[in-house]
Amino acid sequence: MLSPEEFRERYPEEKLAEELPDSPIGSLRDIQYLYGKLYTLATTGGGEYAPYLTPDAAGDLEDSGDSLIVVRADLSGDEPRLADRIDPVWVTSYSEDQVQDVAHCKYPAARGIDHSVTHQSGQNSDPEKLARYAKERLTKWATDDVVQEVAENHDEGWIIKELVELGEDEGALDEIEGTLTTALGGESTTALLTVQVQLDEDEGYRWPGDLDVFMEAMRQRKLSKLVTKNKADDSSGNATDLVTGEPTRTVGTSEDPQNYFLGKQLEKFPGLDIEEAWRTHPISEDAAVTVMNADTFVEACTYRTFGAKVYCLPYFFGRPSIDDAYTLYSTLHAAANADESRTTPIENVYQRRTDWSIDTNRLRFYVSAVMPHQMSRYDVFGETLNGRIQYPAELARSHVDVLRTAAFRDDDRWTAAFPTNEGWTLLDGEGLLGPIASGWYFAETLPTGEDEASADDIRIEALVDVLSGTPIPVSMLLDGYVERIIEEDTDEQFPRFRVASQYAQLCALAGAEEEFLTADDQQRSIAEQPTYRIRTMESRENLAITDGGFEGDQNLEEFIENTPALGHDQRCGVFLLGALVGAVGSYQEWPLERSTTLVDQFPVKSITTNRIKKVAQDAIEKTLTYTREEKKREGKQYPGTKFDYIVDRLRKTILNPDPDEWDLDKSDLRFYYALGVTYGMNDRPLSDDDEAAAEIEEEATS
Amino acid sequence: MEQESPGASTNDESEWVPERCLSVTVRGPWGHFRRVEGNVVKQTYRIIPRTTVAGLLAAVLGVERDGYYDLFGPSASRIAIEPVSPLRTLNMPMNTLSTAGGDLQSINAHGKITIRLPDPTNLRQQHNYEVLVGPEYRIDIALSDEKTYRKLRETLAAGKSHYVPSLGLSEHLAELEFHGEFEVRDGPTDDPVAVDSAVPNRIESVVLESGTRCQVEESPAFMANDSGGRTTTEFTSYVYNPDAKELDVRDIDAKTVDERTVVFV
Repeated sequence: MLSPEEFRERYPEEKLAEELPDSPIGSLRDIQYLYGKLYTLATTGGGEYAPYLTPDAAGDLEDSGDSLIVVRADLSGDEPRLADRIDPVWVTSYSEDQVQDVAHCKYPAARGIDHSVTHQSGQNSDPEKLARYAKERLTKWATDDVVQEVAENHDEGWIIKELVELGEDEGALDEIEGTLTTALGGESTTALLTVQVQLDEDEGYRWPGDLDVFMEAMRQRKLSKLVTKNKADDSSGNATDLVTGEPTRTVGTSEDPQNYFLGKQLEKFPGLDIEEAWRTHPISEDAAVTVMNADTFVEACTYRTFGAKVYCLPYFFGRPSIDDAYTLYSTLHAAANADESRTTPIENVYQRRTDWSIDTNRLRFYVSAVMPHQMSRYDVFGETLNGRIQYPAELARSHVDVLRTAAFRDDDRWTAAFPTNEGWTLLDGEGLLGPIASGWYFAETLPTGEDEASADDIRIEALVDVLSGTPIPVSMLLDGYVERIIEEDTDEQFPRFRVASQYAQLCALAGAEEEFLTADDQQRSIAEQPTYRIRTMESRENLAITDGGFEGDQNLEEFIENTPALGHDQRCGVFLLGALVGAVGSYQEWPLERSTTLVDQFPVKSITTNRIKKVAQDAIEKTLTYTREEKKREGKQYPGTKFDYIVDRLRKTILNPDPDEWDLDKSDLRFYYALGVTYGMNDRPLSDDDEAAAEIEEEATS
Repeated sequence: MEQESPGASTNDESEWVPERCLSVTVRGPWGHFRRVEGNVVKQTYRIIPRTTVAGLLAAVLGVERDGYYDLFGPSASRIAIEPVSPLRTLNMPMNTLSTAGGDLQSINAHGKITIRLPDPTNLRQQHNYEVLVGPEYRIDIALSDEKTYRKLRETLAAGKSHYVPSLGLSEHLAELEFHGEFEVRDGPTDDPVAVDSAVPNRIESVVLESGTRCQVEESPAFMANDSGGRTTTEFTSYVYNPDAKELDVRDIDAKTVDERTVVFV
């Protein structure tokens, strides 16, 4: 495959302009057609037969031992015979410069021979099998109906007829087998098998690529499959080519690199059968073959997420200009030649957007998440022609900003509202574009689901929504968040890093300049951007100690004020309830070292509007008990009760209206309860001892 | 394929510019307009294809299958399509019977008319259908055939329909709201023009603004009969705003209908 520089040299602007499609990109087929064009130009070049060759199919064989087996036929005399002045079968090593010579055209079916006279053996075939394939160049390929038809009508048709004649000579076939077996010395190998012919005594042996009749026969064999695959007799007719828009002969059973269309699907339309497949999917022969050639580039732009295969195909909005084509080629070449890296096409292009001067406003991605069931039954779970770099990049930026705010960054004396952790992707904030583009960003926060994603998997929906800038419904996220929390909220430990990750994500989505969230009236405020202070990284020593007031109280006040979602009384009430349960639970765990705490006693899945009052009573009672005990035990004197800054606020919000009359959606209720628990568990003064303790704890959890 | 507005053809007939049109809103709880690139996968167009609009109106008029392609042909009709509510889809898994050759049974195999049906006792396969949620389009239609045009106007005005109108599949029923008949006037001459309807065949004239969502899709526009059935004779590439808002377009032949700026095809 040509390097991007070689590609530019080989196809200067004017030359490339002649090859590029004239119509703007408007469908998946248009993208595949453009990819196929670029691939053909970069591998087999221009010319009549180039699109029919499959140069990558035998790429693995290049320069690898006995990888090319050539049967030599001398057709210069009256009777065809095997070469006698040189070896009748030549075993050698296949190399890149022989791609054009052997003109291989693979037919991917498990059975059947390749379209070209050149045939690729299976992995490590034994000498007997290879001998059979070698003989079949004469006995099977040359006698094929389509090849015979070409032989009848072509000026050089006699060459094929003489091959057939040679194949009828048992002695010659035995000689092929004998020579080949000896040459291989009993070893198995993977090889391309082909023929060379000598047409005139004075000249040498010619490769199939040098002879038009071989090429034409190869082409006709490939074309025949476009109309006869799956037992159709002739699925073709005159219609408008869906790629070029030109009226032409169209074919119905061509292959689609993504298997979205199969000729044999009858579906439920009456009268729709394979012979008529060209009517529903009219594509010209040229376009069909070009689309098939997109396969290498299409496959290079895929990755796996949640068991689904994600296609992420870059293209430029509108008609591909020459510059677009060069850039696109560089992108695809890089993807096709990447080693097993885990970076997605979106990241790759993002990293090089400046080098390649990419107009990010015009650069788009076709994105689809496909679940293959069996070989050819595909389900597409999410799809867009309008993926763009700017959306995931903006979300990544917004997320980093969120982690720099008071909600996630401690001040000098008191903890932030929520914990951060280097071991958690969403609480670390470094290099989030990759996780966002790959779907990991949502795999971290939404339900893990079954082994395989299903059609209604919200991780895929969220992924495709973000890539295409489609707003995600807040209710969908909350449902997913709560399901994931309940999955993990076991007796062992409350999943506070998970909840913090979810909240960071929610804030990042709400804070991004793009509209990533959509909500109904009750949840609209969740989609609003919180206004937390940005905290810069100043060392503690440099910070002036503020005076006046209890810092935990001030922080809570500030957090509520700066969180638009908590402007809703019921939501704020349940958040405060969670905060109290978290704070008491934390106190029970340390310093009291209780094995079961309030947090375990009231897990997220147990929270309903009916139980709010009961949970609140229990939690408030505990604060009174612990205040009494602490004062008695330690002789401490302080006004009020423990956690009264939470309790006072809770009392106000939880009574108006009475929880029995609350109408907050269940997931909304539970998520903000969980968020409160996380807040309460994290809420404490920082001393050096605390920091050390916190570090130990974080190491243990990460 | 050169991207031309329908009027750009040299054929006199196809340069027909209507003076008035009918305007109707088509909506329903669900819609599914199968994309031609897929029959294994069942993805939907976001903009109701022009051929589907033709079929829908033919259903209103009571024209038989394969009987209306000329009526809605390039020289005889103008249609503009405007999405009026945000275009949203969801996945709907459905259980279906296999229609592969081996799974079909012939009924009345030796009679004159043979019907082949899937065996209803077979196990179902689940397939995912992408469906539009609450699709809603304002459609402006002009027909050169006066008689049919009048009949369409009367039928729509009376709130009647010969066959049951649907959005793509028969199970996705459609509701029609007729707005009346409007004059088709020359559109604004600003540059760019803010167009309300989906913009046909002018991908490169659309002004891309980073804040505006702008998407593209190509769907069948015209069909014709032949001896064996029907084929698509022309595709249209629509650029549209999935939020059902306007798009800025340069150098475009827009029209004004009922204070809205639309582009016909």
